[in-house]
Amino acid sequence: MLQYETVFIADPTYTDEEVDELIKGYEQVVTAAGGKSVKIEKWGKRRLAYSIRHHEEGIYVLMTLECPATLVKELDRRFRMNDRILRHMAVRVESELQLGPSPMMRPRPERDEQLLEPPMMP
Amino acid sequence: MRESRESGGRGQDRGRKKQYKKKFLFRKKKFCKFCDEKIKFIDYKDVRLLQAFTPERAKIFPRRIAGTCSKHQRKLMQAIKRARILALIPFTSD
Repeated sequence: MLQYETVFIADPTYTDEEVDELIKGYEQVVTAAGGKSVKIEKWGKRRLAYSIRHHEEGIYVLMTLECPATLVKELDRRFRMNDRILRHMAVRVESELQLGPSPMMRPRPERDEQLLEPPMMP
Repeated sequence: MRESRESGGRGQDRGRKKQYKKKFLFRKKKFCKFCDEKIKFIDYKDVRLLQAFTPERAKIFPRRIAGTCSKHQRKLMQAIKRARILALIPFTSD
């Protein structure tokens, strides 16, 4: 079984409880198909970089899964069916490093030394 | 008059080519920031990092300027494209 990471953006009109329910629903799908969810991260409401279906904000949820490949397809189908999911994406996780909290959960001002400033234009 | 041409007209005048080249002789060598920091994996979720490589118009910072090595540039590109799909960073800015 492979590890996948799927992020979906829900309609900002969802309430917190509704989001929890939504996640629970998807988790059930995962376990039913013999996979397991390793990590769930709620990034909360974020401003979108560009508007999607006239929404300027979205509720982001990240799910790290260990599941057979067929499940990714099934989840994809379910995401599509829900009109209130603005966007979703599933990717293979290439490294176990991903199990810790993602950069999204990092407090804002941290990110110490500006470790990767690109060089100035000549 | 002359001075203004020197700063503005980059490589337009052929006669100037030699002088232009000479300017580059003592240029600091570029290096791949990712190799330097020993970063093996570039995460599409790391918005702050990706934003540093998509300046102004939100285009991907080219290798010839950033000095990123091909391996890391490829990973960076992948990460940026993923982040764009998720509306974490813009495709364009206007």
